[in-house]
Amino acid sequence: MLTYIKQFVGMFLLVIFVCGAPLMLYTHKEEVVFEPERVVSRVVYLIEKFTEGSLGTYYLGVNEREIAEDILPFTLSSFELLFCSIMISVIISILLGLFMHRNRLSRIVQRVLDIISMVPDFILILFSIVLAIGFYKLTNIRLITLSPTSDAANNWFPTAVLALGPTIFLVKVVVLKYAEIAGEDYIKTALAKGLKLRHVQLHHVYKNIKPFLLADLKKAIAITVANLFIVEYSLNVVGLTRFIFTKGGGYQFNSSVMGLMGIILLSIFVYVLVRLFLYLFERTLVYR
Amino acid sequence: MRSRSNAFLWVGSIMVSLLILIAVLGPTIAPYPLDFQEKVRNEVVNGKNVIIKPPLPPSGIHLLGTDKWGYDMLTKLLYGARYTVFVTMAIALLRVIFGTVIGLYLGMQDQEAKWWVSIENAWSYIPIFIPVYFLLVGINVNSDLSTSALVAIFIGIVTILGIPSVVSSIRQKTMQIKDMQYVLAASSLGAGRNQIIFRHVLPHLKEQVTLVFVMEIISTMTLMGLLGMFDQFVGGTEMTFDPILYHSITNEWAGLLGNYRSFIYSSYPWIYMVPLIAFVFAITSFTLLAKGLRDRYQGTYHRTPFI
Repeated sequence: MLTYIKQFVGMFLLVIFVCGAPLMLYTHKEEVVFEPERVVSRVVYLIEKFTEGSLGTYYLGVNEREIAEDILPFTLSSFELLFCSIMISVIISILLGLFMHRNRLSRIVQRVLDIISMVPDFILILFSIVLAIGFYKLTNIRLITLSPTSDAANNWFPTAVLALGPTIFLVKVVVLKYAEIAGEDYIKTALAKGLKLRHVQLHHVYKNIKPFLLADLKKAIAITVANLFIVEYSLNVVGLTRFIFTKGGGYQFNSSVMGLMGIILLSIFVYVLVRLFLYLFERTLVYR
Repeated sequence: MRSRSNAFLWVGSIMVSLLILIAVLGPTIAPYPLDFQEKVRNEVVNGKNVIIKPPLPPSGIHLLGTDKWGYDMLTKLLYGARYTVFVTMAIALLRVIFGTVIGLYLGMQDQEAKWWVSIENAWSYIPIFIPVYFLLVGINVNSDLSTSALVAIFIGIVTILGIPSVVSSIRQKTMQIKDMQYVLAASSLGAGRNQIIFRHVLPHLKEQVTLVFVMEIISTMTLMGLLGMFDQFVGGTEMTFDPILYHSITNEWAGLLGNYRSFIYSSYPWIYMVPLIAFVFAITSFTLLAKGLRDRYQGTYHRTPFI
């Protein structure tokens, strides 16, 4: 328990430090000025607001709004995006990389993902917008809606775009590890005993891939979070990143701290949920 | 297997050489000076009076067209190329040099440095563009500093924040090599730590270090692209008010991409397609090089899977 509290405090300090950087580090008459003390008063103000039971206010455009009022719906929409896309990527990577490893379709998808992965994710996101607009011009079918309040606003397009990055990464990890583990002697032994392919995949390969999958899951979430900023920003999804990058607005310390803390806590929560999913998957399929 | 990996390596190397050539020669072969601007004018075409106003589409006069303000796109790209190529290379080189030295010494220690491992762990889960963005935002926009100073600051910040990932991969590899028989033999013959590092460990890391260098170039370029999306351009952002617009001072490719991203929704596709294609070309050439190198190095340890 104590270590968790310690980690939480450490995280909070790190967030304060990162968010406070624009206040500490600025230029004044051709000189870079570093004044860490400028953050202190802001932090005191932030904590004062905490003790009053409010989270302070921020500016969205020209309107001053309560952070506490907006943080819940924003978090929910970010959570939906983040969780759905991570789940999609985990399921696809296990299916394609593990159980359909030798399948022809899976091979083709792996190839395609391999080629796509040469281009950074944020370019893919930009490109998807271009494609969606082209698609709309051709067929009149609307895939993206940039007004978040419109009736035609959908969630599946941003989710799909966001899922692309972690999917590419996780499929690559699983395929690579599969190739490595499938060359081990215990696989040979299992096959020589006459065990079925499915059984070997589930009980020998999956169990050995799992530690690497879990280790890289954190990285996958980090990739998704980085992409979340781009997706929410360029597809105009209202989410937690809105606290950090307000369009056209200036830099706001309070809302940035809240936004960044929210995103970190959210990604930890998503990680726990995905682990829970994998645990249930094992309980129902592997250790029946 | 061998022949295919060589194809990647060859194509990648040729593309990278081309890129470096463009970066070096760019300003001399640029068709227009950087501040050349097409103005609105009248011209008689087939007996009719036509108003010509920017943005001009790609044509014989402007091979890649002009942007909304009448500046030639090809010229901008050619002037910006050196920042894209050399800044990323400088950052990657510095990261690799510092990262390798730190990684080697940390990896050679008998006990794993716990404090460092926790830094590595924490660092690999933070999208690096967030701290870089926050550090730059106070300095970079409408800055009084010169472009070269801003580039230097950018290189410094991105290098320092990127070192832990390099250290991580070098340290892990060093720890593997440290347990090899020949290292034991060398140390039993009385070799000191530096002797072992430079004579026995470093030669084995040669391939790894080359690969890490190329990978770091790719990740730096991606980072620059991400920052460009949020209007932080290498070498400074010029912000104009009313309307609020951001311009890249150096015309660096990732910056141009961020600069023109809003034209996705316009009917002038070349304005964002030109920097997009240029940036993808740059990043793909290094990706192909990395892929070629990796295939070449890994071929030695390849085992055929049974299932």
